[in-house]
Amino acid sequence: MDRVPHDRAGPSRAGRQVLRRARDDTFGYPGRGMSESPSKARGLTRRGLFRSIGSATLVAGCVKQDPPTEPPDPRPPALDEAFGLTPARLEFVLDGQPIETEAEARTTLLSLLRDELGKPSTKLVCDRGACGACMVLVDGVPRNSCMLLAHDVAGAAVTTVAGLAPGDALSPLQLAFVEHDALQCGFCTSGMLISSSALLEQGQARALTRAQVADAIAGNLCRCGTYPHVIDAVLAVAHGQAPGERNGTELIRLRAPAPTNRKQGR
Amino acid sequence: MAGKTKLELGYGDQVTSVTVNVPDGEPRPWDASDQLRVVGEPVPRIDGALKVSGKARFTHDIAVPDLLHAAVLRSPWPCAVIKRIDLAPARTQPGVEAVFAVAAVGDKLIFAGQDIAAVAATRPSLAKAALAAIVVEYEPQPFVVDTRAAMHAKAVQVHDAAVDEQRTGADEPGAEQASGKLSGNVRPGRSQKRGDAKRALNQAKLSFEATYETQCHTHSALETHGIVVRWDKPTQATIWASTQSIFSVRDEFAAIFGLEPSKVQVISKFVGGGFGAKFGANAPGSAIAKIAGELARQAGKPVKLMLDRVEEQLCTGNRPDSIQTVKLGGDAKGKLTAIHVQAYGSAGIGTGAGVGRNASAVYTKVDHVLVESADVFTHAGPAVAFRAPGHPQGAFAIESALDEFAREFGVDPIDLRLAHDGHPVRRWQLELGRERFNWDARRQAAADMRARQTRIRRGVGCAVSIWGDFGGTDARVTLELRRDGTIKVKNGLQDIGGGIGTIMAQIVAEVFVRPLGSITIEIGDSTLGPGVGSGGSKTTASIAPAVRNAAELAKSELAKVAAKALDVSSTKNLVWTHEGVSLGRQKIGWGELCKRISGESIVTIGTRSRTFAAHPRAFPGFTAPEIAGVQFAEVEVDTWTGEVRCTQILAVHDCGRVMNELTVRSQINGGVILGVGYALMEQRIMDPSLGVMLNPNLEQYKACGAKDVPAIDVLLTEVASGNNSTGAYGIGEPATIPTAAAIANAVGDALGVHVRSLPITPAKILEVLATQGSK
Repeated sequence: MDRVPHDRAGPSRAGRQVLRRARDDTFGYPGRGMSESPSKARGLTRRGLFRSIGSATLVAGCVKQDPPTEPPDPRPPALDEAFGLTPARLEFVLDGQPIETEAEARTTLLSLLRDELGKPSTKLVCDRGACGACMVLVDGVPRNSCMLLAHDVAGAAVTTVAGLAPGDALSPLQLAFVEHDALQCGFCTSGMLISSSALLEQGQARALTRAQVADAIAGNLCRCGTYPHVIDAVLAVAHGQAPGERNGTELIRLRAPAPTNRKQGR
Repeated sequence: MAGKTKLELGYGDQVTSVTVNVPDGEPRPWDASDQLRVVGEPVPRIDGALKVSGKARFTHDIAVPDLLHAAVLRSPWPCAVIKRIDLAPARTQPGVEAVFAVAAVGDKLIFAGQDIAAVAATRPSLAKAALAAIVVEYEPQPFVVDTRAAMHAKAVQVHDAAVDEQRTGADEPGAEQASGKLSGNVRPGRSQKRGDAKRALNQAKLSFEATYETQCHTHSALETHGIVVRWDKPTQATIWASTQSIFSVRDEFAAIFGLEPSKVQVISKFVGGGFGAKFGANAPGSAIAKIAGELARQAGKPVKLMLDRVEEQLCTGNRPDSIQTVKLGGDAKGKLTAIHVQAYGSAGIGTGAGVGRNASAVYTKVDHVLVESADVFTHAGPAVAFRAPGHPQGAFAIESALDEFAREFGVDPIDLRLAHDGHPVRRWQLELGRERFNWDARRQAAADMRARQTRIRRGVGCAVSIWGDFGGTDARVTLELRRDGTIKVKNGLQDIGGGIGTIMAQIVAEVFVRPLGSITIEIGDSTLGPGVGSGGSKTTASIAPAVRNAAELAKSELAKVAAKALDVSSTKNLVWTHEGVSLGRQKIGWGELCKRISGESIVTIGTRSRTFAAHPRAFPGFTAPEIAGVQFAEVEVDTWTGEVRCTQILAVHDCGRVMNELTVRSQINGGVILGVGYALMEQRIMDPSLGVMLNPNLEQYKACGAKDVPAIDVLLTEVASGNNSTGAYGIGEPATIPTAAAIANAVGDALGVHVRSLPITPAKILEVLATQGSK
């Protein structure tokens, strides 16, 4: 068998030359690079780069005695929507406001919200989908924003706790949380509100049971122990309870009786 | 009002007149005869809106101009010597503006996760990426991470020199000093002694012995440890910290950098949980303040260092594990004469493995008691106080032993406790629970299920707790009563989730008969005046009286203004109402009255004196009340799968005078839920062959979720103790001490045999059933 003269594991020599050139240039993407450096004769765009690498490796891969894994395609792959290593444009709606920004492919939605868009109400706790603190609604569905890439929400409507009610108002659920003390330190509260709001939107609210609410917030970890009061708050809204009406399991205070009722010497 | 004062003290139907020496400057304390309007009511938190709207800013959310982000390189080895460190490659990484070596060549690193070096960069991702460029060469050393293995005489020795005990403001105040001589990896710790337990055990007619084990338990607060440091001048800094004790951060940071404490401002408006791990500027196993401060100095820009989840689980503390041998001795009639507990526990490279006070201080009618504990060093992250340090471990062992003794000698577990516990409130709580939990009927039902060997079993158990009122005198609360009629209260303490700000507002509203909306509470900043650390369940007891005292001082000044306005010579008979102040037919509205304040406002500073009464019973070694608690648990066990579900908890607790019914309920729920996790699911797992933590995350370290929570019923047995001007004391820790023990006892009732190790996993249930079946 002929010795394969190139290194299959990395880019071919031709490919490496292309990459070296590319680093010297301003990478472009639709709307930027091309217009920023019109004088650069090479004017290598990201699209063009990938085209070059594509053809270089395709050429390198066609050695006589190697059975090709797939038939060589003379047309370069369509790469118009591909992301490279630089930030790409991203548009979506956040709490009712249109957002136009850019993000690297690897940026999570959580990171975008907290670090770029100044929305620290969405909390970072585990960064791997285990605790629900980072939940937001994406087109009404509760999602862990640490497990979504920013670009996954392109064109979608994202809602954080700030967007649960218009302006600076608080939704009935948010008010019920305060009323029923469904928060202690407050760090899990954002995620709890997101899960619970989605549950209430599903309809059938009047028939909701404690077990069903527990199911809905099963992915929201709380270390302070707010679960019973969160369930109380959600059920209060679901069942249309008036503020000030509290339910929940028994709490009895055994106080000393008023002086006039007290028997002497016992 | 000071000097000998007759107060109505007691609980339930046991209220009597007691003469208490009330110190100078203190108002007449609220006692059993006081019916309050606002204090004690279920008032929603005044900062609730900020938390539900997302506007609350935690340390993690702080953004200041030019902020850099830090990341820390950590040792991957359980034990290693550093042969080489080269930080230079990191300096040139994209975005990096400062680098700092925490460790040096020749240093011996003694747990996986220990600090090596740190960088600060313009974005968190760049800081993390830059760590990969740091060159470190390690020479791995032999290690030991298993507690039993570390106890062997021939085990690898973790520490070469004597180890001093490290304590923080979260440790149980007054706990005996742990100062023993290191022998191998074992260092004697706290011990308590009464009589001669060893001799009494030798002479006992009845005896019982068993060894119980508990697991290493991590705090797992949702907001990780973190700090933001901004140098305003070379000798002055502003710090934001996720902390339980603003002043401990200030003092430690000042000490690290040789600054005047008054030149360090610490801000902590909202804290995402602490549970004992967040005292001091550094974290228990990571020098985060030193790192952030150094990087900020180097870069000339503020630096934020927030630990990630892995770091949080690895190096910010934990509750030590325990191996406890319990021996009980009794006379022929079944009365206990001796208790001996020999406990070992590993706090990793640190100290802190005690077992609380159930054995030594609850069963005071047992004449001979010896509790001995010892730290066992292992190559793992250091422990730190965790919600009632030592107590849940100790309660599990002794309370289980009592139930096993009761089973063996045919005594009811509640009766056994009543026979040996002298605290009148706890005795009342046991009786209350027996009735309200339907104890006898449920025990009978459990016996029936055992007899019929049903697949699904139910069982009930109970356990008790002991804690103390550790309220202190450090706080200085400032109250401003303004001409526009509003009131502002300021103090430098922090709210870690207990809702102290709301309680402060309630007290002011009570004293002045004013609506809550007219009162502003400002806390969370060291410039607001000396506060108190939130540990030991002493926040409310320390602050509430100081707030009341500040309010009463301001009220008496305002009373003079009112007397003048109403043209009377004495303030004695003034009546304060919602509208204002009146005397007979005369009255003046609040708004008009305040306009007559000369100057901008009346300003008072309130403090509290030392606790001045302890009715009905003092905590051992203190002149402050002993706090009693009892919990009852019901469990359901599937004997085919081993799965245990805690279905119901009845928590009977004494927290003095209830300040806020809503928040006290939340605290009790929190303690119980933590206890359920500790009983059934949570465990830090160390890989014995690699010496690393296998589950430094929140999906394999199994904290309680919403579907694991039992129905929690709460009975508050209020006690008027005469301790301070408000009658308040704490609840946070008492509420978690007995939970796991009660659940373990319930499992014992369901199966007819105890599982002697936490967490009670399905595997352990099946194992104990198999052993039982083979008898």
